[in-house]
Amino acid sequence: MLIAPSLPELQRALGLAVARREDGAAIPHVLADGIDPAERLGVYRNTFESALVRALRLSYPAVLRLVGEEFFEAAARAFIDEDPPRSACLDDYGAGFADFLARFGPAAPLEYLPSVARLEWAVNRALHAPDAAPLDLARLAQADDPAQVRFSPHPSASLVRSAFPADSIWRAVLDEDDATLAAIDLSSGAAWLVVHRVDDSVEVERLDEDAWRFTEALFAGRPLHRALDEAPCADAQALLAVHLAAGRFADFSLDGIGGTQ
Amino acid sequence: MISPAAPARSGRSPVPSAAGIGLRFRHHRAVLETRPKVAWFEVHTENYLGGGPTPHCLDAIRRDYPLSLHGTGLSLGGAEGLDLAHLARVKAAVGRFEPGLVSEHLSFSAASGVYLADLLPLPMTDEALEVVCRNVDRVQTILKRRLLIENPSTYLQFRHSTVPEWEFLAAVAARTGCGILCDVNNIYVSACNHGWDPSAYLGALPAPAVGEIHLAGHALREIGGRTLRIDDHGSRVAPEVWALYAEALSRFGEVPTLIEWDTDVPLLEVLIEEAERAQAMIDNDRAHSALAA
Repeated sequence: MLIAPSLPELQRALGLAVARREDGAAIPHVLADGIDPAERLGVYRNTFESALVRALRLSYPAVLRLVGEEFFEAAARAFIDEDPPRSACLDDYGAGFADFLARFGPAAPLEYLPSVARLEWAVNRALHAPDAAPLDLARLAQADDPAQVRFSPHPSASLVRSAFPADSIWRAVLDEDDATLAAIDLSSGAAWLVVHRVDDSVEVERLDEDAWRFTEALFAGRPLHRALDEAPCADAQALLAVHLAAGRFADFSLDGIGGTQ
Repeated sequence: MISPAAPARSGRSPVPSAAGIGLRFRHHRAVLETRPKVAWFEVHTENYLGGGPTPHCLDAIRRDYPLSLHGTGLSLGGAEGLDLAHLARVKAAVGRFEPGLVSEHLSFSAASGVYLADLLPLPMTDEALEVVCRNVDRVQTILKRRLLIENPSTYLQFRHSTVPEWEFLAAVAARTGCGILCDVNNIYVSACNHGWDPSAYLGALPAPAVGEIHLAGHALREIGGRTLRIDDHGSRVAPEVWALYAEALSRFGEVPTLIEWDTDVPLLEVLIEEAERAQAMIDNDRAHSALAA
C-alpha cells in the first residue's frame, strides 16, 4: 500500500518530473486510467520546455538567426536543464545564456556568439526596465560642489564590452542585411557599448575605451572627482553632457551627504 | 479566514457582463490604431510587470477599454508559500492598470524554487485546500482585491485525492470569499480526460461566486490508442464547448465572458467573430430569462 505523499513531497516530485525529466518519484502517485503516467507527466514537461524556449527566442532573436532554429533549440534546452527559471516573470529569464553559450561545446567555432548574446541581454533588460524620469538638469545645476556628485544610472542603462564588433553583427542580423554581415571584420577590435532605452526604443551606441571606463565608474556610483581619477577621460565634460542629454542618469546624490537631494 | 469586503468588480471601470477578448502582443497595434468594438480586454499579468513599450501600450488601451488582469505565476497551490517579490510586482501592476477583475488559477507552478512554467494540478486533499486558502487569503489581503480563481485543464489525477475538483473549488470560494472564474473549455477538457460529467461539474459550482467565464479552443492528442484533450488555446471554441457554455449561461446568468487564443494567434477579426458569437448567446439567454420571468 502506497503512503500518500505530503503536499511538499508531491510538488517536489512533480518539479523533478517537469524540470529534470526525473519522473520516478511522481509516477507512483499518478492514476494511470488508460494512459501511462509518464506520458501524462510529459504533457506538463512539454509545456515547460516550449514556454522557456519561446522566452529565450524572444530575448535572443539575433542569436537565433545566427545559429538557426535547430541549433538554437538544442542550446536552449541544454541551458534550461542547467539554469531553470526562478521567477514567474519570463522577461527576466535567460540572464546566463551568454555565459552558457561560451561554455557550450557545439558553439565554440562561433567565437563572437556569446558577445552578441551579452548585447542582446542588455537590450532585453533595457526594453523591460522600470520607467524612470531622466535626471532633472535644473536640480543638478544647483548642486553646491559638482565634483562630489554621484550619479544613479537610468534603470535601462548598462554598459557592454565585447572583444568582437557585437553591435555591428547584431544590427546586420536583425536587419537581415547579409551583405553587411559578410563584410564585418571580426578582428576589427573591441566594441565599447552603452545600451539605454529612449522613449520606447532601445539604443546601442559606441564609446571609445576611455569614455566607456569613465562611464563605468560613474554607473558604479563613484563621485565625479573619483571617477575622473580612476578613469581619466579627455572629453569628460562633453561626454557627461551627452549622457545627461540622452537621459542616461535618473538621479544623483552628493558624496559625504548621502541620500537623494 | 478573511472574507474581503471589496467587490469583485472594482477598479476604474468595471468589466461588463459581455464578451471580451484576451489581448496578445500581436494585436496591440491593431487595437490602438482601429479601436475595434470590443467590450473589454484581458491580459496575462506576467507580461506587463516591467516598464517600457509593452506596458505603455496597455496604458493607452486601458484608457478606452475595461481591463482584466489574469495571472499565471502566483502558484496559489504552492506548498512552499507565495513568492512575495512576485506578488509585490503584481500589486504594482494592479495599482497601475486598475483592472476591473483580477484572476489566478487553482494550481501550483513552482517547486524547490524553480518556476515550472505551467499550471500544475493539485491533489484534491484537505492539506492542499488549507494551502490554497491560506495563499488566497494572503493575496486578497495584500492586493486589497477579491480574486477570481480559475479551474485548470488537467492531464492527470492523483491517487490520494479525496474530493472532486468542483467540491474543492467551491470550498475555496466559501472559505476565502474569492470568486470563481469558470473556464468552460477547461471543464470540458478535464471531464473528457478523466471521465467526469461536465454538466454535473457546472451544476456543483456555487452560481453567485462565478464572476467570469473563459472560452477557448483545445487540441486532441492520441497517446497509446487513447485521446487526451490538451488545452492549447490554439483554435476556435469547439461545438461541445459552445453547448456547455449555453448551460453555463442558464445556470450563472450574465457574467463577463472571455475568448482566449494563445497559440497560432489569428487575426483580431477572428477573435472578434468568436466574441460576437458568445455575445449573441448572452443576449439570447437574457431574452429567454426575460420571457421566463
